[in-house]
Amino acid sequence: MKKILILATLATLPFNALMAASYTADPSHTYVSFAINHLGFSTMRGKFDKQSGSLEYDPSSKSASIKIEIDAASIDTGHDKRDEHLKSPDFLNAVENPTITFESTATKWNGDKLASVTGNLTILGVSKPVTLQVTSINCGEHPFSKKDVCGFDATGSIKRSDFGVNYGLPGVGDVLDLDIELEATKN
Amino acid sequence: MEQILNRPEIQSAVVPFTAALLGYFGLRKHTPAAWIWALFAAFLIAAGLINGATFTPLTGTRKIILLVLASLIVAALGPVVVQQARLQRSVSAALGIIAILLVFWAVVTRMEVTAIALFLVGGVALVLWLTWIFDRISDDPARLHGAGFSLLLGTGLSATAGASALLGQLALALSASSGAVLLGWVLTGKTGKSNQASGSISTLPYVLAPVLLGLAAVIFARLPWYALIPLASIPLVTRLLPGELESRFLRSVVSTLPGLLIALAVVFWIWQSGSSASGY
Repeated sequence: MKKILILATLATLPFNALMAASYTADPSHTYVSFAINHLGFSTMRGKFDKQSGSLEYDPSSKSASIKIEIDAASIDTGHDKRDEHLKSPDFLNAVENPTITFESTATKWNGDKLASVTGNLTILGVSKPVTLQVTSINCGEHPFSKKDVCGFDATGSIKRSDFGVNYGLPGVGDVLDLDIELEATKN
Repeated sequence: MEQILNRPEIQSAVVPFTAALLGYFGLRKHTPAAWIWALFAAFLIAAGLINGATFTPLTGTRKIILLVLASLIVAALGPVVVQQARLQRSVSAALGIIAILLVFWAVVTRMEVTAIALFLVGGVALVLWLTWIFDRISDDPARLHGAGFSLLLGTGLSATAGASALLGQLALALSASSGAVLLGWVLTGKTGKSNQASGSISTLPYVLAPVLLGLAAVIFARLPWYALIPLASIPLVTRLLPGELESRFLRSVVSTLPGLLIALAVVFWIWQSGSSASGY
């Protein structure tokens, strides 16, 4: 009887994952921003103005997956000439590689809260595993739309040279701090 | 040492110039294609410093590096296989057009139909024009390398001003190499018609490099397309100038200076027009 129960539990595991609620990112409340050292003097910040994404999330079965697509040409550092340079082959090569993607492959949980997400980040066509620490995640009914919404804040660091973005090294920093804030509405 | 080799002026000027000069002096007595092999060695080293030895993923810029290197090998060995002048021109033009398609087709097909048509017409016209005009000056080292030097310098500085130092550095490395070959010829060459490799296939790198790097600066960055027109006129200006001077030094100056002025005027124009993305 015990074996049957265990087998039955195991058999339902994939379905638990499949049953995770699916959410679509709200572009007006989703931000991907970054910070990088500039010539050792200061920290330069920037963001992307266009991104889309989806979230599968079920804390009861501790299953979650995240997918984010960023429009590389929407980079915005508050300076037009610098943005044009950042879109060029020296940095993001946005014409040839219009999309930066992050797709989760594994998650870690702290109780019933998502603690970190590991996934493949693809920049310039190069995919590398990156772990994002989830500093906050909350789900509930939106007070105005009455729809179910999930939102999270996540941070991580990458070395841009790992992705072949080598221009300006070592003057312009190699380590890039990423911040992702995403709000998603249940489908 | 690594810090020195990371400096753009070392990568795209000092190293290729020195490598090409040494290559030219080392090979000039052994093969008429000495200048081509000198450019090959210089560009190989410079591209290695600028891009590294990585070719994955195969971006447009990396395709250009490989195609320019391939064109230098074809330029050195091709005339042995294809000797007839008209056939050389056809082969050279065909290779230029194929190279354009290899680098840009994946990106261009995402554009609107009108933009695709304009790109194809412009790109093919540029290849045909430069193939024809470089063929006309291919047997005169002063004109050939003077035009090559100025055209690549203009392309490199324009690409840099048009938002891509990477593309600019590659063109400037070849420009420095051409300058070194020209200097080598001034110091050691014969006046009048030379015994160096000539003909359309030999000049393929002088056609392919500015076309691919110039178009890449337009497509991948923001160099205005019309900047390529005055640059493409440089070999014509070089050809029209009087070149029958006794002094090799004077011939090289006369063949280089007008193209150099055009190249600098184009860069100044880009800078003034606000198309430049550098200097922030």
